[in-house]
Amino acid sequence: MAEDEAIFDPTLKKKKKKKKTTFDIDAALAEGDAPESTTNGLEDNEAPPAQEDADDNADIDLDFTKQKKKKKKKPFSTDDLEAALTDIKDETGAGEGGGQDDEAIDDNFDLDFNKLKKKRKNKKNLDEIMAEVDDKTDDKENVDDNAITWTGSDRDYTYEELLNRAFEIMRDKNPDMAAGKKQKFVMRPPQVVKVGAKKTSFANFTEICKMLHRQPKHLLDFLLAELGTSGSVDGNNHLIIKGRFQQKQLENVLRRYIKEYVTCHTCKSPDTILQKDTRLFFLQCETCGSRCSVASIKSGFQAVTSKRAAIRAKTA
Amino acid sequence: MSIQNLNTFDPFADASKGADDDVQDGLVHIRIQQRNGRKTLTTVQGLSSEYDLKKIVRACKKEFACNGTVIEHPEYGEVLQLQGDQRENICQWLTKAGLAKPDQLKVHGF
Ligand SMILES: [Zn+2]
Repeated sequence: MAEDEAIFDPTLKKKKKKKKTTFDIDAALAEGDAPESTTNGLEDNEAPPAQEDADDNADIDLDFTKQKKKKKKKPFSTDDLEAALTDIKDETGAGEGGGQDDEAIDDNFDLDFNKLKKKRKNKKNLDEIMAEVDDKTDDKENVDDNAITWTGSDRDYTYEELLNRAFEIMRDKNPDMAAGKKQKFVMRPPQVVKVGAKKTSFANFTEICKMLHRQPKHLLDFLLAELGTSGSVDGNNHLIIKGRFQQKQLENVLRRYIKEYVTCHTCKSPDTILQKDTRLFFLQCETCGSRCSVASIKSGFQAVTSKRAAIRAKTA
Repeated sequence: MSIQNLNTFDPFADASKGADDDVQDGLVHIRIQQRNGRKTLTTVQGLSSEYDLKKIVRACKKEFACNGTVIEHPEYGEVLQLQGDQRENICQWLTKAGLAKPDQLKVHGF
């Protein structure tokens, strides 16, 4: 390397080329994408080469303008990323606070609920959120890489890259847009109480329906179909379900309901309306305006679980 | 030319997901039902009628060490019924045996 430098010293340009391990600048720019990112990283870390660059004469500067831009852009985007990350962290922190508020409210409503259980549930939610955040940052990194890969080169951009670029611009321009950030959806946990040995009461059923802006009947149909059981709403607006179910089991079903019938399938916004059109239900999003049909609720095959003798007695 | 291209694309492929009214939607519904006490029942609805369900149930019974039966239903066709919560088992088994793709399995219940 030292020898090379000595040989090619007169024209610093060539030295540059040598670094890139390619033969001419065009090629370097065209196919040097992968190595470039590594060398960029290197130069970012090491002060000396960057300084050399600065000391170099103007024509080199001209030759490498595109590259320079890229170099400038790289730290920029990572800064952005970090900013976004902290934003998200703040948000999740806020989310936690919100959850605790909910807890407090719930405690007022129902003293039977032991706090430990709820704590655990909350934690889980938080973990999920964190996982999502991780996913998202990963995505963002990928997008950044993809978006710049072809900028300096002569090659044709791919569809994926263009798409990523479009999304990146969208996110940059409107940071609080739903497509860029996942809106969090704070749900109150279902209050589940055993009723005798064979029934379960879902105490805040109507309250949750109101929160989700859905007809109680729709949620009822879904719950009963999913749980493969029967049930009805009693005089106190509690849902009484046949069978024994735990809070977390109902939570799972509720989560699936929200995923399918509440959050927009396109932008994940919970601000949606469920409309019945002919025989199908459509989910109309108030945020992005998308409209899509959702699966109809079918309980499907139901096995006979009651005592056959009793059925025979009834039918006979 | 363009018509030939269209042949490779089934315009109603995603409509089958949009659930209408019969079991021929390609999805295999795996459900769980509670029986008395802690006991549960797993039902598998929507397996293709090309398959020999009796053979499948025999294999499942052995594999999952549970009892099971095939029920003929007027609307839903032949339905597999297994004792206990076999949802995980049946999903894995169906995929492994190549009888259904993972995205065709629809697991219901808690
Ligand atoms: Zn939307």
